[in-house]
Amino acid sequence: MLVDNFNIAFKNIKERKSRVFLTFLGIAIGIMAIVALMAIGEGMQQAVVGELSSLSDTVIVTTADISASPMGGGISGGLYSSFTQRDIDDIGRINGIESIDPILFGFVTVEFNDEIQQVKILGMDPDRMSEIFGIEFLGLEDGEFIKEGDQNRCVVGYNVAHEYYDSDIHVGSKIILNEKNFYVNGIYQKQGAGFSTETDDYIHLSKRDFEKLTGEKNISGILIKVENVGEAESIAEEIEFAINENHGTDDYANAITMNSILESVQQIIGIIQIVLLGIAAIALVVASIGIMNTMLTSVMERTHEIGIMKAIGARNTDVLSIFLMEGLIISLIGGIFGIIFGIIGANSLGAASGSSFMGPGISLEPVVTISSIILSLGVAILVGIISSIYPARKAAKMSPIEAVRYE
Amino acid sequence: MNDYVISTENLNKFYGTGDIQVHALENVNIHINKGEYIAIIGPSGSGKSTFMNLLGCLDKPTSGKLYIDNVDVSKLNENELATIRREKIGFIFQKYNLLPTLSALENVALAMSFAGKPAKERYDKSAELLDMVGLSKRVKHKPSELSGGEQQRVAIARALANKPSIILADEPTGNVDTKGGWKIMDILEDINNQGETVIIVTHDPNVAKRAKWVIRIHDGVVSAHASR
Repeated sequence: MLVDNFNIAFKNIKERKSRVFLTFLGIAIGIMAIVALMAIGEGMQQAVVGELSSLSDTVIVTTADISASPMGGGISGGLYSSFTQRDIDDIGRINGIESIDPILFGFVTVEFNDEIQQVKILGMDPDRMSEIFGIEFLGLEDGEFIKEGDQNRCVVGYNVAHEYYDSDIHVGSKIILNEKNFYVNGIYQKQGAGFSTETDDYIHLSKRDFEKLTGEKNISGILIKVENVGEAESIAEEIEFAINENHGTDDYANAITMNSILESVQQIIGIIQIVLLGIAAIALVVASIGIMNTMLTSVMERTHEIGIMKAIGARNTDVLSIFLMEGLIISLIGGIFGIIFGIIGANSLGAASGSSFMGPGISLEPVVTISSIILSLGVAILVGIISSIYPARKAAKMSPIEAVRYE
Repeated sequence: MNDYVISTENLNKFYGTGDIQVHALENVNIHINKGEYIAIIGPSGSGKSTFMNLLGCLDKPTSGKLYIDNVDVSKLNENELATIRREKIGFIFQKYNLLPTLSALENVALAMSFAGKPAKERYDKSAELLDMVGLSKRVKHKPSELSGGEQQRVAIARALANKPSIILADEPTGNVDTKGGWKIMDILEDINNQGETVIIVTHDPNVAKRAKWVIRIHDGVVSAHASR
């Protein structure tokens, strides 16, 4: 019975190919938008979260008058207040901490090709440097990070390398920091305005070189690795409490976990995803109006046939199911094409706009999940049914006499 | 219980309300035996279409009773009427009324599909019926590829598909050329000879003459006569 109704519905669609094609197109575009935008949203999510969650065992401590921006490089300034050795020792006494790495900030004169500029420098443990600044979207443009044991080597920010001096600094170039020779081991890629700009204008050194160079121990930030990711949040609170007590104020230190950063980033991406889906939903509403329009025309045109079917014994439910199926077939075929176009569209959009979306060097890989495909198909089916209910009911309720008489 | 296939008691049908009410059928009392061959005649506007619609369960009477195979259909709801139409009545329309998107075979099978018959049985039976009306070489053709007479013969096959108690034909030869018309009348006569009740609405006296009984309708009043 259902198979027969399906057959009739399918034949009806075949009779009106060109008009139905336009309706297909409407729903296909709507579904395509959903699939593509969800894939891009998911891709953003995974690009950012995937990188950040590798750092989820890290707590970043800064002084409260310095804002910590989310992307790891965000420990700026360092010229205001700083941490003391006592702070470091107190942190060391907290349970569950694996390692403590102070980050040092300072200013030096840097000479390159007989030109001298003031440049900000940052000193930290080389292993941690590559771990934190080496993640994909911070990453290096050229060269390598400093390794443990390297001496007089540095990693140079993009602006320092390309804009501070008349000629560009390259990997292997010799630069003179406070009259000491350093070799450029790597150059950061440009971060731009999208995330923190802190690597762009910095030169990064190992902690040992920093101390040798400046003689200072100006600890502006502390990176702490916890043993158990689940405890990161509570350890961050303990750290804040301990340091604040040392300095006698409530808000001297600011300890944040990568998880909390992750959460806020996820929130932002979530909002972006909702906005993207909202746009897709508008496309779908338009498409469903298209289906309803096609179905209403179809019911009108086939009033006579509806009358015939009723005269030879079709129940109202038979007529209803024939027209519901017609709408369903249109939306399902449109939906399937929409999914295919959506996957193609997401990939080409991702390839075309990856860099401008998230800053240089970030390849946005759109991720089409099975659940997004199932969701899209479900939405297509729902749209098909909802927009055919009214036309189908109209058809089912026709009086057989009047319908048969209708020419 | 009796053996009437159709029987009415004071059947009335009004259209409209109040002052502009039209009395389309007035107190019709009629009994039709199984296996009769009856022509309904009358000028246009006489109420013959109304009567036909009531007999075909396409419409409900305003008052009175209508029994089809001893079932009072005047009180049935729409879906129950659809069931009666499907099981008891085979329609043949003046304009054939085949579904243009379906082939001859599918058109015949459609009626059985609404009755829930399995596909194999439907298509076998449809082929058999089309063979009976002389269209075994036309089963795959769509209505637009058939002549008027051929389309009407497909319609006859369709009307017979669910083995109805009554064949109701509304001007079956009205849109067919003379030769095709006689062929259709021959087929209807054959069907009647096999025991089927056939009721033809017509204003063609030559068609009416072939029936055993004539029901004449004039201004909503029904009277029956032997045709010869």
